[in-house]
Amino acid sequence: MKVEYLQQFTYRDLPDDFSTRFVESVVTNPYAELVDPERMRAAFRDGLDELMHAARAGFDAVAVTEHGAANYDMSPNPDLTAAAVAYATEAEGIDVAIHVIGRTLGKTREPLRVAEEYAVLDNISGGRLQAGFPVGLAYDANYNYGVAPVETRARYAENLELILRAWTAREPFPWNGRYSQYPGVNIWPRPYQTPHPPISVTSIGTPTTADFALERDLGFNLVAFSGDPVATAKPAYDYFWNKAAELGLDDNPYRATYAQFVVVADTDAEAERLYARHVEYSFANGIGHIPLYRLAMPGGIPPAGLKHLMTSGAALGPTGPPTYRGLVESGAVVAGSPETVRERLAHLARLFRVGNLSVFLQLGSTPRDLTLASIDRFASGVLPHLRPIFAEYDDENRWWPVRLGGKPPSPRQAGTLEGAN
Amino acid sequence: MAATNSPSLTAETRTVSVWNGRISLRVQVKGSGDPIVYLHPGGGLTWDPFLDGLAADHTIYAPELPGTSDGDTDAIHHIDDLFDLVLVYEEAVRALGLEGAIVVGQSFGGMLAAELAACFPALFSRVVLLDPAGLWLPEHHYSLDAVMAGPPEGIPGVLFHDPTGPAAAALFAPPADPMAAVDGAVRLVWAIGCCAKFLWPIPERGLHKRLHRVSAPTLVVWGENDRLIPVVYAHEFGRRIAASRVVTVPNCGHVPQVEQCDITTTAVRDFLAL
Repeated sequence: MKVEYLQQFTYRDLPDDFSTRFVESVVTNPYAELVDPERMRAAFRDGLDELMHAARAGFDAVAVTEHGAANYDMSPNPDLTAAAVAYATEAEGIDVAIHVIGRTLGKTREPLRVAEEYAVLDNISGGRLQAGFPVGLAYDANYNYGVAPVETRARYAENLELILRAWTAREPFPWNGRYSQYPGVNIWPRPYQTPHPPISVTSIGTPTTADFALERDLGFNLVAFSGDPVATAKPAYDYFWNKAAELGLDDNPYRATYAQFVVVADTDAEAERLYARHVEYSFANGIGHIPLYRLAMPGGIPPAGLKHLMTSGAALGPTGPPTYRGLVESGAVVAGSPETVRERLAHLARLFRVGNLSVFLQLGSTPRDLTLASIDRFASGVLPHLRPIFAEYDDENRWWPVRLGGKPPSPRQAGTLEGAN
Repeated sequence: MAATNSPSLTAETRTVSVWNGRISLRVQVKGSGDPIVYLHPGGGLTWDPFLDGLAADHTIYAPELPGTSDGDTDAIHHIDDLFDLVLVYEEAVRALGLEGAIVVGQSFGGMLAAELAACFPALFSRVVLLDPAGLWLPEHHYSLDAVMAGPPEGIPGVLFHDPTGPAAAALFAPPADPMAAVDGAVRLVWAIGCCAKFLWPIPERGLHKRLHRVSAPTLVVWGENDRLIPVVYAHEFGRRIAASRVVTVPNCGHVPQVEQCDITTTAVRDFLAL
């Protein structure tokens, strides 16, 4: 297995009554009222320290995500923090992958800039970039950035085609897209990796993204926000692997990544004592405090998917204040001693058949020192036990940078160019 | 919010091939008499007593915005922007032989009616705009958040002066059959999403630069208590269209044809009789 440390840049100092005074963690939060500039600055310093600590502790990859106007991930452009970590790890000689889970291509109005920034990151890191391309959540792509929801998918597809072509074309080319036009595309630099860095796409569980990943041999990240992952993520992976079989594709577990909230302490009881209130902060004030209407806007989900959502009884919103015990019992958070955590994660990895695990170890208000401690316990007591899982596929990992032992991406990834205009 | 037929009148559905065959535009037709082109609001096409009243002595042609027709929901992707949309509707009006008809548009449909009348000043003989979108002034800014980015229970309150009154209840009453209710909700949400392609994030695509081109006599009707697009815009439309008259309706929100059907009908009939 490959295990990555996933960092979100969380504002850790919201007032205790935040969740009752404010309806959401995104879009409308009054910045001037809520933020102490010193604490904001600290959130970035601490987050970067934590990323570097995870890189030094031996994680296979460190990862960042993109969210605008969100208190739980103040990362409007993850390439900025990725650049800091790419340089620092290169300077220290740490062979860790840099996974930008992604610049959201349904949101961006500057796709060429995304191609350029990723190419710069790949050069700074000397070929350690994993390039993620999520669509973008409705509140970010459609609200913060004003993209009409019904256009999101088409923008995503066009932007990805442009980026792949900009990376791989040997000669300058004109681009006459529906959403952007350029007379001559010739970016400097191109990515360091040839033909391009490993690419992944991210889903919150809809079949569309799974189909897309398989058809193009791209990595597939799944983020299940809430509840029991066996209930929420298992059906999505079942769909993914059944579809792979249907298409006659291999079942290499390195195709797939699963993301999980985790805290590790010396004992289960100690985990609760040290981390309970920080975990509760995360779900009450942050990622768990997003109304459904911020995740689904009219036009964003086609009628068939909408009907499925409305009739499947999927309860997307939390029902009452989250408690540490409730979150751990439901499986939303994996918490406890190294033994508890590794057994649970190994079980999920095998159950879902995922070769990549992405762990959030900084939850909510968890301060820097407690996060570093959790990272250390994970790196020493959990990581070594997960690595041997699916080791028989280690030599066939084409979703991993070649410099770090991966195989080059299949021609079908670069073959996406055949469809470009 | 599904299209329903009144007991006395039945809509016939016609299909018009437009946009070089890429779109089969569905048009519901009801009544008899001089033609009226009716352009529906953001929630999709709904027959209401106002339209049925006009159908008593007019033939109403009500196109369904591409994408909002059952079984053809991808059609919205054939129209990239407002320019395409205006041309698609202009083609349809001509294909149906309706040049010189009256046009009535509500909200999103009002914006579309105004755009058509501005781009093709001879296309319609008269223009009726019911709380149209299309203008947006910084000093009177408004947002579509309640419809596009808020809890569904907030929608009646922004569309109606009296969200607990009978008009609102009739419009939002879900069908008794749960599956029909789901289908209705899906149809409504997708219709809003399709219309939002031309409205979101700010429902203004330059109409203020074109309104002076509207030469047909125009009636602007506005609910005085419109909480979605404030009544001040009634006077903006009136000011910018030379041959216009403005009627504001008391105790009325964003949908005068539903919330104050009698007053709205009288205003429209008086205007058409001029």
